[in-house]
Amino acid sequence: MRQRARFSRTVVVGAAALALVLPLSGCGADSGAAADDTIRVLVYGDAANKVEKEIVATFNKTSKVKAVLDTIPGADYQAKLQTIINSKQAPDVFFNWGGGSIKPFVDADLLLPLDPFIEEDPALKEKFLPSVFNSAVVDGASYGVPMRGTQPVLLFHNGKVLKKAGVEPPETWDDLLAAVMALKSDGVTPIALGGGDRWPTLMWFEYLYDRIAGPELFEKALAGDREVWASPDSREALGKIRELVDAGAFGTNYDSVKFTDQGSATLLATGKAAFELMGSWEYSTQQDAHPEFAENDLGYSAFPSVEGGKGDQANIVGNTNNFYSVLKRTKHPEAAAEFLKLMYSDQFVKAQLGIGNLPTTTNTEEFLDTAASPEFATFQYDLVKEAPAFQLSWDQAYPQSAATSMYQALQQFFNGSLDEDAFIAAMQALPTP
Amino acid sequence: MTRTATPAGPARPGFLWAVPAAVFFGLFAVVPLVMVAVLSFAHWDGLSGPEFAGLDNWRTLLDDPVMLKSLWLSVLLTALGVLVQTPLSILLGVWAAGHQRNRAVLSAVYFVPMLLSIAAVSVLWRAVLDPNLGVPAHAAWLFGDGNLFGSQATAIGVLVFVSTWQFTPLHTLIYQGAARAIPQVLYQAAQIDGAGTVRQFFHITLPQLRNALITSVILMVVGGLTTFDTVLILTQGGPGSDTTISAFYMYQKAFKSFDYGAASAVALLLVLVSTVISLVVVRLSGYDKMRSTMEGL
Repeated sequence: MRQRARFSRTVVVGAAALALVLPLSGCGADSGAAADDTIRVLVYGDAANKVEKEIVATFNKTSKVKAVLDTIPGADYQAKLQTIINSKQAPDVFFNWGGGSIKPFVDADLLLPLDPFIEEDPALKEKFLPSVFNSAVVDGASYGVPMRGTQPVLLFHNGKVLKKAGVEPPETWDDLLAAVMALKSDGVTPIALGGGDRWPTLMWFEYLYDRIAGPELFEKALAGDREVWASPDSREALGKIRELVDAGAFGTNYDSVKFTDQGSATLLATGKAAFELMGSWEYSTQQDAHPEFAENDLGYSAFPSVEGGKGDQANIVGNTNNFYSVLKRTKHPEAAAEFLKLMYSDQFVKAQLGIGNLPTTTNTEEFLDTAASPEFATFQYDLVKEAPAFQLSWDQAYPQSAATSMYQALQQFFNGSLDEDAFIAAMQALPTP
Repeated sequence: MTRTATPAGPARPGFLWAVPAAVFFGLFAVVPLVMVAVLSFAHWDGLSGPEFAGLDNWRTLLDDPVMLKSLWLSVLLTALGVLVQTPLSILLGVWAAGHQRNRAVLSAVYFVPMLLSIAAVSVLWRAVLDPNLGVPAHAAWLFGDGNLFGSQATAIGVLVFVSTWQFTPLHTLIYQGAARAIPQVLYQAAQIDGAGTVRQFFHITLPQLRNALITSVILMVVGGLTTFDTVLILTQGGPGSDTTISAFYMYQKAFKSFDYGAASAVALLLVLVSTVISLVVVRLSGYDKMRSTMEGL
């Protein structure tokens, strides 16, 4: 009898181990032990995983429930997450972009609201900058804790090129237009744009809508008010974009240039272009690809103000942060909560700063001088802290199902193949959360 | 049943012979196709179970300007591919079938693109054609401002060019084999009658390549209608939706928008259109009753 019981237990344990290991090996993740007392943490696979590994190791030192880190290589992350999240292979805790990226999961009742944990430990909310924390609040409940760096969009420039053309980083829209003219007569492309990727084009829309109409317009649009796209403010923003494109600010071949293959970043670094509107990752991209340029001539400033616009000049747009969310079906919600508390620890902040990320905790400020590039980190941190509004990138705020049509409309309006009315109609047709 | 008297020949293979292929085809073609057909009548985001949607997806699809455009683009790309690749590969293939000096070496060089993966080839050409860092930057007389991916005509041109570069070797190989199989007596007889090289080509070589031509064109049509990788890597369907062919549109619906129901409807529509085109090609070309070109020899 005893013998038999043992046999069947071996079979069950073996089968369970196999069932756990098989999907993991499918993801290309390196994790060994798998049993009932683990939580699986799924993140976007890239260079930042170094910190995530350290944090998991720290967690495992003290916790009885062990965390196991799985990664999915970047480009495939969202598609693979979507396919496993409602299956047995679903992780307990996973990386996301907040906003529209988790809304479908909330609607499908897959995510655990974090508010009970916050009640027990208010630090889980208070230790983070509110403009960032709020972008993972869906229908009034908190679903995510910031877990990497914030990535505001900034106007980068090549200092040498500006100097040669006698141009200063623009503070107003008119400054920018004047700079464009001066740079053009100097024979450089005023602004580098990776239009082939399409999301870099989106950044110009995000900022101009914010400056002219204020953040409220987009909030209303997201809430389902389609009329705002046809409002005078919307038309004015579109007119400004048209004005800039028609002035030749981006040259003529921007749609064949990409940021992702370093095309546009190289234009900036080699002095063939003077400006590039890009997420804060431009800095580390340049440090990797053109270290000398990053050291000497790479400058940055906030997006210029627009006279008469309703948006505060200090507003920013971009990726507020990445977030960890917890699945409802996790067997260890308490352990997951303990794990999340590490996201405002000193160790976490220092490690993120060390790899060039800018965490959004309130204690980040103390450690800014330990950052890889303290000056740049301080500039960004102040910008994010002071910002009255931090608009999450439109393609992250809208549901995934809107992305393709949105990109198409943006690109076509930008290059002139879609007129104002057709663009407005396209934006009105997008599905809202 | 009056036509029972078939001429005595080798015994017909029994039904059993077809079983492995039939099972394989059933499992990997028919079953998924049926599932796709069912899904096209449902809303499904992969999170909660599929919901029956009636004709919703179909109604949206038929009103969708991008859908119609994508079908048209698929057909256009396929037709351009056939028109560009066929003459090229016939000439190359006939040339490679000869016995000229250096022929073997050059044929081997021409063959290389076929050994590379289409994804690698696309990434390569994307880099070569970069307007500022690639060839166009140094050849403004040909490329102008190099905005190859920024207008529909040039983006389609790039797609056709890259698939020609990649697939011409395969079709060259087909024509080379077929040209080698043409009996030399035909050329010898023509020579005695005083026919020159050009005349021999049009009156002997081309007619003799008929079956190879049919095979090659059908391969091109099938390949062209299911093209996906070049579009994904080179143009992403852009600018706007100007190179969004049906197969890529299906991918966008399924794996970018997570709307598997709509994606299934696109897929099924593509299957229907492809089937019709294939039937027409088969009927017109006589593929179903390929005749020997050796009659009378």
